[in-house]
Amino acid sequence: MSTSKSNVHAHKAEIFCKDESRVDWHSKALWTLREKRDRAAGSIPEWEQLRQIGSEMKLHTLTHLTEYLEEFEQNCIKNNIKVHWAKDGAEHNRIVHEILAKHHVKKVVKSKSMLTEECHMNPYLEERGIEVIDTDLGERIIQLAEMPPSHIVVPAIHMKKEEVGDLFHEKLGTNAGASDPLYLTRAARQHLREKFLSADAAMTGVNMAIADKGAVVVCTNEGNADMGANLPKLQLHSMGIDKIVPNLESAAVILRTLARNATGQPVTTYSSFYRGPQDGGEMHVIIVDNGRTDMLKDKILAEALKCIRCGGCLNTCPVYRRSGGHSYNYTIPGPIGIAVGAQHDDTNSIAWACTLCGSCSYVCPTKVPLDKIIHHHRRLKAEAGKLPYGKSNYMPLVGKFMASETALNCSMGIARMALKILPGSLLKPFSGAWGKYRELPVAPNSSFEAWFKKNRG
Amino acid sequence: MSSKQHILNALKSAAMAPHAMPTIDVAPRIDDLVGQFEANLITVAGTLHREGGLVNLQATVDEHIAQGMQVISMVEGISGNREVSATAHELSDIDYAVIPGDCGVAENGAIWVNTKNLGHRVTPFICENLLLVIEAKSIVANMHQATSLMTLAPGEFGTFIAGPSKTADIEQALVVGAHGACSLNVYLT
Repeated sequence: MSTSKSNVHAHKAEIFCKDESRVDWHSKALWTLREKRDRAAGSIPEWEQLRQIGSEMKLHTLTHLTEYLEEFEQNCIKNNIKVHWAKDGAEHNRIVHEILAKHHVKKVVKSKSMLTEECHMNPYLEERGIEVIDTDLGERIIQLAEMPPSHIVVPAIHMKKEEVGDLFHEKLGTNAGASDPLYLTRAARQHLREKFLSADAAMTGVNMAIADKGAVVVCTNEGNADMGANLPKLQLHSMGIDKIVPNLESAAVILRTLARNATGQPVTTYSSFYRGPQDGGEMHVIIVDNGRTDMLKDKILAEALKCIRCGGCLNTCPVYRRSGGHSYNYTIPGPIGIAVGAQHDDTNSIAWACTLCGSCSYVCPTKVPLDKIIHHHRRLKAEAGKLPYGKSNYMPLVGKFMASETALNCSMGIARMALKILPGSLLKPFSGAWGKYRELPVAPNSSFEAWFKKNRG
Repeated sequence: MSSKQHILNALKSAAMAPHAMPTIDVAPRIDDLVGQFEANLITVAGTLHREGGLVNLQATVDEHIAQGMQVISMVEGISGNREVSATAHELSDIDYAVIPGDCGVAENGAIWVNTKNLGHRVTPFICENLLLVIEAKSIVANMHQATSLMTLAPGEFGTFIAGPSKTADIEQALVVGAHGACSLNVYLT
């Protein structure tokens, strides 16, 4: 990451927006997910009740994390699961490498884990001679394309099938020009099956960790997590401290909303509960902080940890849909990416990749107040003297100006007059970035104040 | 200081006030559980066989065997042509696996499968096609009810299976058959 202009959200979004038809296609693909989500949510009358329970259950867990983490660890030990604790990404990677090196592992099959992305684990292991194969189809596509994910649930949503076809032709030897999703998926199935059967170890993320059972829950549609974890004798599961739920009943609530909110399915194809290793196998769980306890120290940011990573907020976000997942300068894009990542954003721009429309908060299955958190991030940036260039210069002036009734009324009068009599081309430069993709407004005849005095006063 | 202690110490500075655990009391929809189950199973690309039970299933299995397919059965009363192998990897050529489920969930078409009697945990995933058997009376309304029926003793592995494996990672086009089974047929007894 660098602080250069090239990583600023608006700049990256501008690159993404150069191909307008592609932006429309991207936006529409995500909106389709949103519509499927609406149908799934609308089909169960208790939807709002489940959101409320989900929110309160997560709040309860987050405010009793010490007890639940300790209970989880004790129960894991009873189930012959080895538990490790990592303060940060570096320690997580070191622990994973130690376990793998001890077992002379050369090849790891991994299912989706945003946490291992956050820790930049793949390059760490690869530098140490361990091959990491992402097994979720979308993740495998972007791994072969050497790109980061652009979405947390559908990581290759930014790619067209023709591009995947070309990539598979080059990397997997599929027919040149073939782009049929069924054909390409079958090719990937065959390619990855060979990897599953020859892997020395498997890694997965964790959707939920059940404290009173000492079990981890992993949800996939493709079956890749279970094909991985149940073939080699060594399985590793990485989880953030926020993944804990108290019991099975709590897990059931999340399982009811997770897939419905993500893709509109009633549930993921596989919701797998690992409560111990296979016969003769070894199971490790790595519990990671990596900044989460810092977020818990701020009661507004803390609520971001209620997130269950369904991706619903990305699909509904007007900015994400039209700027793409690679514009955020953080591993996780979209509203939740801003909420959990803005503090790490050295461009100090992603907190402004938001219209504060609040759509994300309304679709969130655990009621994470995303717009409130994003707004709070702006305040934190301002307080830390890290407002993006320009904003720190003109915002205090704008504040003073707008606080003065006389100054505001006087200049608005001039602006109305100017909009009526001067040509747009002369005025447009004064509107700055705002006017780049917008037409100037039609000036009203009077101010609202004058209108109100006349008609309602 | 261990990393565990470091994390637990950091949690002492957490800012949110303690929140009570909410009551989970969600009204189930209990009309026509089998009908609800079937509708949702179809949504997740599975097929339900309501009639005929194990007799019907054995006839299907016999047909597959006659066609040269490799069939492993873990359901009592159904015989295939393969036994549990020494290693999980040897199951990679299984065409059909017949496996018992503990209970079905009407609201989403999922079936709870505990793998403790399967020999290898990977069996329901590695097979090309999956045949699950559940008792009609084991179908419950929703996931809340399923948690009281699902078995998961210490050390065990179990999974809710809702349909065959699938993906929509290439341009959102649904493809049935990703890494797990490519089809799912459910037989009621």
